[in-house]
Amino acid sequence: MKFKAWLKTITFYEILVGMAATMRHLLRYKPITLQYPHEKRTLPDSYRGMLALLRYDDGTEKCVGCDLCEAACPSRVIRVVSSEVPGEPTKRYASEYYMDMTRCLFCGMCVEACPVDALGMTREYEWAVYDKRNLLLNKQQLLAIGDRSYPVREKRLEFQHPNVAFFNVAFKNLPAKGT
Amino acid sequence: MAELALRMAFSLAQITVVMGVIMLTIMVLTLAERKVLGWMQDRMGPMEVGPYGILQPVADGLKLFFKEDIVPAGANRFLFSLAPILALVAALIGFAVVPFGPDTTIELFGIQFKPFIISDINIGILYILAFTSIGAYGVILGGWASNSKYSLLGGLRSAAQVISYELNVGLAIVGVLLLAGSLSLVKITQAQAGWFWNWYVFAPPFPQLLAFVVYVISAVAETNRVPFDLPEAESELVAGFFTEYSGMRFAFFFIAEYANMILVSCIAAALFLGGWNAPYPGTALARMGFVQFAWVENVVWFAAKVYFFLFLFFWLRATLPRLRYDQLMRFGWKVMLPIALGNILVTAIAAYLFPR
Repeated sequence: MKFKAWLKTITFYEILVGMAATMRHLLRYKPITLQYPHEKRTLPDSYRGMLALLRYDDGTEKCVGCDLCEAACPSRVIRVVSSEVPGEPTKRYASEYYMDMTRCLFCGMCVEACPVDALGMTREYEWAVYDKRNLLLNKQQLLAIGDRSYPVREKRLEFQHPNVAFFNVAFKNLPAKGT
Repeated sequence: MAELALRMAFSLAQITVVMGVIMLTIMVLTLAERKVLGWMQDRMGPMEVGPYGILQPVADGLKLFFKEDIVPAGANRFLFSLAPILALVAALIGFAVVPFGPDTTIELFGIQFKPFIISDINIGILYILAFTSIGAYGVILGGWASNSKYSLLGGLRSAAQVISYELNVGLAIVGVLLLAGSLSLVKITQAQAGWFWNWYVFAPPFPQLLAFVVYVISAVAETNRVPFDLPEAESELVAGFFTEYSGMRFAFFFIAEYANMILVSCIAAALFLGGWNAPYPGTALARMGFVQFAWVENVVWFAAKVYFFLFLFFWLRATLPRLRYDQLMRFGWKVMLPIALGNILVTAIAAYLFPR
């Protein structure tokens, strides 16, 4: 046994095995890499890309300014400034909404935390910029991302679920939140 | 006077051609290395510049040409500039005695020239060994003059490594020299003419197989290539002795490394694998009647052997991880050196008992 090991050492057996392996890969050349800007990988269905704010089908924002996403975010990406809907003291919305995408780790916990599904993760990932200040996104930018990534919008909650519409009887006139 | 001028003109033409071929080979090598390495690792290698990335060396060269030439603060400016030149000159000057083709003489304007070797001096191999040793100065001076701890460590490592492995290179060659009885690369190659078992790897009375293995391993170590690339271990020393170099000075070191690779491949081909000789006696072209074109076949055989070694360099790089420093030194001094010495002993006895 010792003789065999010695024989393997002096004949460079292990090195030759390794070189045979690399040569096999050279001969059966099948690249597993993609030429990225020219060809792109098929993303999985549950891909977690850029974050976006969503709207209802009538164009109003979903966000109710509850701050739960801010609380759920592990890296403090999100900053929400919540305020009352003008003229309707029982309803709130996010008058300002910032995301510092330089810190985001795309865990999706904000999306899970949102009670009204106002946040979504898109399939965008090409967000390399020359100035990292461009990655501090405000509400308008996030809504724009949502608009281009989610063309099919949900109905308002009270129209989706007739049983919860009871709680919303007071709001016959749907408020136009934000701008 | 006219004869001297003519000789100089012819030598200059030869030098220009050889340098051109070497530079072209280096350009091809930089691309080929990345391509072969990529293919072996299931990648594609460079693909962007030109079709299948074949213009990548041109792009790299242009980039290095136009990059800013930075001299770090506190660096010794003179030595910092001198080191790359020293490394490159030492690497390129060895090609003066490498026979690229058969030892024919042509007569031009009444003067005899040897077209395939710039200078057939009778101590050719010694000359090459001397100048590759000077290349170590370039490395260590570059490391020291950069005023950077990584460069200094890389330079020191390189000096220690080159010195220990050059010993093995020299001793591995001695066996061949004993059999050939000459230091001239032309004479050594001529002695290996005929069938391929006359090559000194397989040659009777004592095949130089051990010396060949020792030489190849030491040559890899001497050119600072993987798995012996400790001087420029990028995971430990950023880039080793040329950490602080940029632009053309970096390019000089880079070219020097590749020129050294080609040089040791040329020596290995000439000493162990019969140089320009085909594996069969004579040349096929001469036998078919094209005697005046037989040199083409010889040059092709030489190039094929050199490229085999260059491919071996890439192959080893794709396969092997880097050695640790103490492993490197132990391997050099405790394994390679005794083998090389034993080889000399046995070869000397064999050459004495069976004189050719």
